[in-house]
Amino acid sequence: MTLRKILTTSAAAGLMAVAGFAGSAFADIKVGFIGSLSSDTGLSTLRGAEMAIEELNAAGGMNGEKIVLVTADTQEDVTEGVKAYEYLAETEKADFIISGSIDDVSLGWMPRMQEYQIPTLDTWTSSISIIDMVVKDPELMAPYFMNIASDEALATLYINFGADVLKKKMGWDSVVILAEDTAFGQAITGLVTEAISPVAGIEVKDTIVYDVGTVDFAPIFSKAQATGADFIYQVSSVNSQVISSQYVKLQVPMPMTGVNVSALGMEYWEDTGGAGGGISTLSPVPSVGFKLDPVSADFVKRYQAKYTSRPKMPHFNGFNAYYGLKQAMAAAAEVGGFKDAKKWSKAMEKQDLVLKLDGKMSLRYGFWGKDEVEPVTKRTYPHNARFDLTAPYDDAQPSMVVVQWKEDGSVGVVYPFEFATTEFTVPSWIKK
Amino acid sequence: MNLRWHHFALWALFIVGMFALPQFVSNGTLRTMIFANFLAIFAISWDTLSGRTGYISFGHPFLIGIGAYTTAILTHRFDFPVEISIPIAVIATMVGGLIVLLPALRIKGSYFALVTLAMMELVYQLVQVVRPDLTGGTRGMSGLPTLTRGAANGYYMSVSLMLAIALSMWLIMKTRLGTALSAIGMNEEAVSGSGLSVTKLKMTAFLMSAFIAGLGGAVYIHYLGSIAPRALFDINFVFTIIVAALIGGAGTTIGPIAGAFFLTFLLEYLRPWLPGAERYMVYSGLALLIYMYQPKGMWALMTQATFKSKIRP
Repeated sequence: MTLRKILTTSAAAGLMAVAGFAGSAFADIKVGFIGSLSSDTGLSTLRGAEMAIEELNAAGGMNGEKIVLVTADTQEDVTEGVKAYEYLAETEKADFIISGSIDDVSLGWMPRMQEYQIPTLDTWTSSISIIDMVVKDPELMAPYFMNIASDEALATLYINFGADVLKKKMGWDSVVILAEDTAFGQAITGLVTEAISPVAGIEVKDTIVYDVGTVDFAPIFSKAQATGADFIYQVSSVNSQVISSQYVKLQVPMPMTGVNVSALGMEYWEDTGGAGGGISTLSPVPSVGFKLDPVSADFVKRYQAKYTSRPKMPHFNGFNAYYGLKQAMAAAAEVGGFKDAKKWSKAMEKQDLVLKLDGKMSLRYGFWGKDEVEPVTKRTYPHNARFDLTAPYDDAQPSMVVVQWKEDGSVGVVYPFEFATTEFTVPSWIKK
Repeated sequence: MNLRWHHFALWALFIVGMFALPQFVSNGTLRTMIFANFLAIFAISWDTLSGRTGYISFGHPFLIGIGAYTTAILTHRFDFPVEISIPIAVIATMVGGLIVLLPALRIKGSYFALVTLAMMELVYQLVQVVRPDLTGGTRGMSGLPTLTRGAANGYYMSVSLMLAIALSMWLIMKTRLGTALSAIGMNEEAVSGSGLSVTKLKMTAFLMSAFIAGLGGAVYIHYLGSIAPRALFDINFVFTIIVAALIGGAGTTIGPIAGAFFLTFLLEYLRPWLPGAERYMVYSGLALLIYMYQPKGMWALMTQATFKSKIRP
């Protein structure tokens, strides 16, 4: 073989390899993950998506095309989120984007979603302002879906917990609110103050606002006790394990419930050093302690066999990513891919997955119709996860549940009663 | 002014090169360059105050934030057109910044840095809790009117602004005013002793810096289409601005631009291989190496190399 022949053959082989590689790369369906690669929240979505993709590929991919996953880290930073979305759109040419971003990060990249019109599914962000955008401009927001109940729906059901459990069952008439000094704290406090009194009949004795950097809660708990209220309502999204563990260690002689973000994950017990018993919190569904249907239970089992690092159990958004990605692919398969975002959107709107436990509805992955009015809030939630705000929750799962950590480290759902796995109790050191 | 024809020839070459780039690079690269352009604007703004006069500001996002929030609120809440809201935002930045930060110019060194840092933190907290109906609270605002759509348009807008600011600052720094400002950074007492009003000079530097920050912040927000307090008042943001100016070469015009491009591209080009926070370790390591080798930054390295090649026989 002459040198010329060797060179010609090598060049031809090289070109074929490149063409083959390029061909296969173009044939793939590219899913872009956007979210934090170092938080439990982001990892839940990423891993849920990974598992769904593995299963879909094992079953032949999407219409015979292999699905590949690419990631873009947001570091929970708003500007990094914009860059990450641009990277997925421009450099990776993602066909579909699945997001485990937190609220302000999603709001940050939203104008890019509107510009690129890439089908996008948010699994963690619950900001009602995004659903308002869908209401306002359904054409522009057509490729966007959010498969977690919006924050407004979460809060609406939470007030019912106040009426049904705190007032009716426990007989508590007054509350003191301990809220962190953030807009989140302020918003929830406003909602509770406005709604808990007229709806649940519980008087707000005082509102104590604390700095998120607070490390010693003893004076704050003393002040709360001095109000003479029946219970404490905490609103904590930053360093929530600090207030919980100090409440337990100081054995504060008042019951405490509310919103505690750290208690949403299975790592809560370790994070509080075992001092987290008695704390209850609102959580989107499915939460820790939520009785899972067989399909979801199997997903968790396989998740735990596959991943050894935290989060030990996927947060609710991990489930949302797992089921949501499969629904997105099913919608794409129906309309021949993701290229026509409007067509895909129509197909996605029709996706509806009902998961049953003991013959009853446990979880429903569907979306509200464009003109469907939710009967309690009397408003529409287009492209938002379907939820139910009234018992017996036969149309969909409740928008949220209240979970409680017990002093033995176990955790269960205490509200709504239809989904309860344990009873709401006060810690053992509190006189009943 | 010590201006020579080759200076203008180099600027012309630079401008032509920057404007021709969209013909040769991908949209993904253009998007990265847009962020580099904005970072360069903020770094030039920081350098105008801190790099020249030696008054190190850790609170520059305070100024950027005034401009950004002013135009965001005016357009989003009160339906002001962008062409009116941006000039108002620039004026608000200059006035607001002057009222709050000018008294701080009376103090020096680390105390000045701490005051500016505290100022940024104060505004960060304020926009979250005071009138969240206007500022959007912790979540900020999304759906702000954008000035452009598409990578190429965004690039032309950002590069035009960056080049206009850079060229203007370069020309200003070639005047006696520029010399006096740099002299403050070297020996403030000597400048004062020579009969010049140091207070007026510092105020001028501050106003120029605020003008650039306000303009850059306002346009930046209308490029992004969203605003969030964590994006603007984050300590990482201020460090990125300072590192861009220092790594490129503080006290120069090209230095902050070079630093901004180096930093932005380094981080973005590492993304496919190091998608997580590990990218920042590489960036920190490289920054450390550059500082160790040449504390005056990349611009000094480049001029050193040019000088060496010229004197080599």
